[in-house]
Amino acid sequence: MKLKLTLIVAIIITIITSIFWESYWRSQGFTQTLDDNEALWSVQRERVENATSDNMLLMGSSRVLFDIQLNEWETQTGIRPIQLATVGSSPLPIFHDIVNNTKFNGTILVGATPGLFFSTTNPEAQPWAWPQAKVDYFHNRTYAQQLNHLLSIPLQKSLVFMSDHQGVDGIKLKELINKIHVGNRVLDPMPPFHEFGEIEMDRNLKMKPITVTDTAYANSVIKVWQFFMEGAKNGPPPDKDATMAFFLKDLNTFKARGGNVLLLRCPSSGSVRMGEKMGLPRTDFWDDLVKQAKVPAYHFEDYDQFKNLTCPEESHLSHKDARFFTTELAKIMIKDKAITNKKTN
Amino acid sequence: MLFNSLSFVLFLIIVLALYYSKLFNWTNKKRMLLLSSYVFYGMWNPPLVILLWISTVVDWTAGKRLAVEENQKKRKIWLLLSMLVNLGFLAFFKYGDFLLENFVTIMNSIGIDFQAQPMDIILPMGISFYTFQTMSYTIDMYKRKIKPARTFLDFALYVTFFPQLVAGPIVRAKDLITQFYEEKKATTNQFIWGLFLLTIGLFQKVVMADTLLADTSDAVFGSDKLLHGIDAWIGTIAFSGQIFFDFAGYSTCAIGIALMLGIILPDNFRYPYASLGFSDLWKRWHISLSSWLKDYLYIPLGGNRHGITRMYAALMLTMLLGGLWHGAAWTFLVWGGLHGTYLILERLQKRYLPFKITKWNGIFLAFITFSCVNITWVFFRARTFDTAWNMIKSMFYMQIEGEKILDTFTIIKVSVVIAMLFLCHWIMRNTSMKEVSLRTSPIVLGVVWAIMTFLIIIAQGSGEQFIYFQF
Repeated sequence: MKLKLTLIVAIIITIITSIFWESYWRSQGFTQTLDDNEALWSVQRERVENATSDNMLLMGSSRVLFDIQLNEWETQTGIRPIQLATVGSSPLPIFHDIVNNTKFNGTILVGATPGLFFSTTNPEAQPWAWPQAKVDYFHNRTYAQQLNHLLSIPLQKSLVFMSDHQGVDGIKLKELINKIHVGNRVLDPMPPFHEFGEIEMDRNLKMKPITVTDTAYANSVIKVWQFFMEGAKNGPPPDKDATMAFFLKDLNTFKARGGNVLLLRCPSSGSVRMGEKMGLPRTDFWDDLVKQAKVPAYHFEDYDQFKNLTCPEESHLSHKDARFFTTELAKIMIKDKAITNKKTN
Repeated sequence: MLFNSLSFVLFLIIVLALYYSKLFNWTNKKRMLLLSSYVFYGMWNPPLVILLWISTVVDWTAGKRLAVEENQKKRKIWLLLSMLVNLGFLAFFKYGDFLLENFVTIMNSIGIDFQAQPMDIILPMGISFYTFQTMSYTIDMYKRKIKPARTFLDFALYVTFFPQLVAGPIVRAKDLITQFYEEKKATTNQFIWGLFLLTIGLFQKVVMADTLLADTSDAVFGSDKLLHGIDAWIGTIAFSGQIFFDFAGYSTCAIGIALMLGIILPDNFRYPYASLGFSDLWKRWHISLSSWLKDYLYIPLGGNRHGITRMYAALMLTMLLGGLWHGAAWTFLVWGGLHGTYLILERLQKRYLPFKITKWNGIFLAFITFSCVNITWVFFRARTFDTAWNMIKSMFYMQIEGEKILDTFTIIKVSVVIAMLFLCHWIMRNTSMKEVSLRTSPIVLGVVWAIMTFLIIIAQGSGEQFIYFQF
């Protein structure tokens, strides 16, 4: 057997095809991306184990991820927060984990996106299952998984084809195959969903510039939000009583050990905001939450500087606006003495 | 540690570098392999390495005593001690919750109100594999079929050898321990062929099982709806392909990695989906387990030495326990029972309705066997009897209003993959990859290798665990 020749042929062709594959996706405008997966989240969650009362944690859904920029927050307060917010998620499972499984007694900023915060406590439902999966992964991760993550980072940072995006922007073999559609035996009503954020190692997330500059791109994302809002109309109603009770119980435990909680309602605009106003009116949900929680709370509608912020895809701020929002929000909170500026103290 | 992970790539490179460096003599190389094997296992859950150590020490001691002990009673005690420890581990870690759950059901059914909290015991990865492997050593020692391992190091490495530690092949002592006595070094051809097998194994796992089939079988078996017949069949054959590619992929990786170290492991699969009947199937599917069950269960139960009725009973019991070996659930027992029934029916057919297998009826017979095997997979994959029964009803159109959940392309994709799998097994059933590669031009083989590697690179996968790790 001339296996040496076989090996040489295999190596040469593999190198050539891989270079071609990488170049092709670069030529199509794709760039290197980090995967916002359980492993990346767990690295931040790990930091909570050694966090002091000076530290700050961010929780909530994608709005906290997009709208709170870590650099600006650090500039204003002297503290770089630990970003634990996750997309499409209720903050309750992660808040519950921090309250019950750590000794952390610093400040937690909880983002309350009404449709997610008040959605459910059903462990099978997506707003609960997604963040809970991250919590479970953190507690059960093996050393091998931690090493895999460590080794994958340089590859993710260097190679475009390592991108773990799903849907229309997915370029892994499975995603490419899933894009093929034949006939209409089963209809998939979900509009194509573009990735519109870029995450960094400490999970600081920035909106992609194309979301701001390309209206069609932004509109494709808006269609997805509208699809979800339509789906919510036919789904179970918000479970305000159960979610509030669950949150308040943990909140009281956290406050009792000296922890500080801030509630935040991030901006939304257009049809998304209209849908939220109709489905989850402020007075019935947010105001009641604030009243019962008895913690400092910040609703974007209450501040002149935030009232006119427009979200390019109606639910999240552009990077530029997110920087402004973060800076101003931190100033307001410092002025209110809800947080302290560690730089000056 | 998973073969389809970056940490394993790093691990293997370090092990190979140390193995082929001139730093160590053979004994130290074996020590390095043993330590690496513990690291390989401990990267998943370090404390559970202790179970490996206990199994190793107990069976080494039992084996040593069995080698010198002449008193039959004492020999039996040593054998029982080994079996007690190994089967005790299995009973506690694998069947603890299952036994408790059934005990509670029995108590309640006879009117005793008894409730128990599930113990939520963590299942040590690969426990069914290494306990069976190490038990075979003491049983063979008891039967005086083999000589004791020369050193503790050789024995410990036999129990723990990382390529086959967590999902087999389950290797007999006479086939593996003796290979550790003399220094082993792969020839260049062996090393490259091992690397080729590793690539094929990863291709089967990452591309075929995880990328092309897993989602379909997960969607179908995860559905709580009554499905359309086509969806139920496609989900079932998708799982059929997934479990083959997943498990055969692992075995191929294991054989390849061992070969890169100059160690030869036996085949675990020989194109099973082209089996002509069920006794043929069990000579081709998970060969190391089926031969273990035959040698250590079926034959001691009497085999075919005590008449037909006893043979059928032994056959059924072996298959039922074989089913239970895969998991602590009644569905696995049904899976084993179905295979037992198939084997009995086949023997009855051979006795009362014999016919000659020709090249014309062969593929038809293989297809019938494959279809029957698919029905058993429903019980293997379904988590509950309700799901399994719904699937069977859908597959045989006992209900007609089933829901369609698979799109047309998925149906085409799975059908093509499984048809190709079946035909490939049929074409290859009387040959081997090695023989085919000898007839193939090195350049063509290199191109095939490159295509597989490229597809692994672009598929990447998300480090899905191998299905058989849970058994």
